[in-house]
Amino acid sequence: MAELLFYLLSLGAIGFGIGVIRTHMPLYSVLSLLGTFFCLAGIYLLAGFPFLAATQLLVYAGAIMVLFLFVIMLLNLGDRDELNRQTGVALSGPRLAAAGICAGLLGLAGLIAAGWGGKVTPTEAVAAGGVDRLNDIAEVLFGRYMLPFEAASLLLLATMVGVMSLAKRQRGEETEAGDTGWPWHKGVEQ
Amino acid sequence: MSLPLHLAALAAPRSATNQINDFLTGVKPDFVPDWALPLTTALISVGIAVAIISLVAMSGTWLERKVSGHIQCRYGPMRVGWHGWLQPIADGVKLLLKEDMIPLGADKPLYLLAPALVLASILGAMAVFPLAPDFYFADIDLGIFTILALTSTTTIGVVMAGWSSNSKWSLYGAMREAAQVVAYEIPLGISLLVPVMVAGSFNLLEVSNGQAGGFGVLNWYIWPWVNPFMGPAFLLFFIAILAETKRAPFDLPEAESELVAGFMTEYSGIRWSFFFMEEYAAMFLYCVVGSFFFFGGFESPLTSLARATDVHLLVQVAAAVTIIAKGYAGLFLMMWLRWTLPRVRIDQVMTLGYKYLTPLALACVLGASVWEVFLAPVLPWR
Repeated sequence: MAELLFYLLSLGAIGFGIGVIRTHMPLYSVLSLLGTFFCLAGIYLLAGFPFLAATQLLVYAGAIMVLFLFVIMLLNLGDRDELNRQTGVALSGPRLAAAGICAGLLGLAGLIAAGWGGKVTPTEAVAAGGVDRLNDIAEVLFGRYMLPFEAASLLLLATMVGVMSLAKRQRGEETEAGDTGWPWHKGVEQ
Repeated sequence: MSLPLHLAALAAPRSATNQINDFLTGVKPDFVPDWALPLTTALISVGIAVAIISLVAMSGTWLERKVSGHIQCRYGPMRVGWHGWLQPIADGVKLLLKEDMIPLGADKPLYLLAPALVLASILGAMAVFPLAPDFYFADIDLGIFTILALTSTTTIGVVMAGWSSNSKWSLYGAMREAAQVVAYEIPLGISLLVPVMVAGSFNLLEVSNGQAGGFGVLNWYIWPWVNPFMGPAFLLFFIAILAETKRAPFDLPEAESELVAGFMTEYSGIRWSFFFMEEYAAMFLYCVVGSFFFFGGFESPLTSLARATDVHLLVQVAAAVTIIAKGYAGLFLMMWLRWTLPRVRIDQVMTLGYKYLTPLALACVLGASVWEVFLAPVLPWR
């Protein structure tokens, strides 16, 4: 049953992933992305990482909602043709070939990695010591990987502050020039 | 066919799911194939969860109307049954018979899917919610974390509903919901860290067990002698759950005086009632979470008395009565506040969430951890 679920979820993840770039409606894109993350959460759960699965849901459900807000606020939704040009990727020969080559390389890498560590099925990954106890995760995160963990959070903070200051400066300059300050409002009647 | 090892471990041996499975294995006739067993078990478990949610929603709507009525010096529903207690059933029949309308410009698949998604996330959260010490579906380490993760996905359903309705009111409601819920999830999660730190666990059952003793009252985490930062943390938690469940004064996503009915403006009939069920179920669920993490969970004088008699069933019943009573007390408080406080503006909501609640919650966690590390070990009563 676990195997069947695994393949179903994997197919779902890939299908939704294609949906993200194929659809013309921004909301469908957002929801497809969400579907991908849900399928991944299911795979994590199957592999014996409920904490990772729950984190996936908790973080991305919120994050994707923010993305949705961006979609609504940043895109000029009144103009349907404009929208179609901005989102959605048409499948063409070269693109398909590129995607195929990428997928093939990834698959090859996966095969090599699997061959390196011996064959591991999703159910066996757990027996090999899946981290499903919270205490274990905490020990690893705040013990062995304390420094990288804190460094990553500092990096995120720096990025956030940087984005804020950049956005503020841009807004200030352009407001002086008589614009609304937002680049996506250029040429739009207010 | 059995579940894989680790998934079976998620459903602890005494869980209701496994008990149902064992019972079904015992009575299964030979002609029934093996794969039907887990399926039937799952269906029965889901049925129980749906029944609980429906009961909560029905009693919730009745209570809401009665409480609102009495606060406004009127009776509320009085015609159907004694003090109108059958009113929710009459309403349910009415909603079932009502036409299920779909606006012409609506995005049909999303429009139809949204109410189901909203209800499904609450159903999923019910799985980790124990009704009595020995009645639960999954006893997992991640208890509260799972509940937060699953209930946060209701936003997606609401946004889908708002977008697909093709109505400006719905879209405004959905955008407010997205902004508001994402903002208040942060203080909600952080304020819950304080009791989690004291209990040393995410698991609702373990948190409840950690508050045992002291006549069933004195060891509740809310008391300042356990940790003085618990009171402020609870206040933050309560404000955050008001915003999370879209209750007044944070009912901006529905805001009936400005947005008609917000994200559910275009819905009618049974689909509309799904949103209502979700709202009441979420309110009850969060209130129960609050009582687990701050007000003793299953522990009360009643439970202590039942434990003294040493009858297993009596303890279970007393614990269930305790938690349900605490949940409804929280529900009552939320309804009371609805008729006490005026609705705030969306910018005030955002300011409160990001500029005040989040830093305050972080300060609470910092203070509580200092207390836990340095003072708690030397306190004689801890």
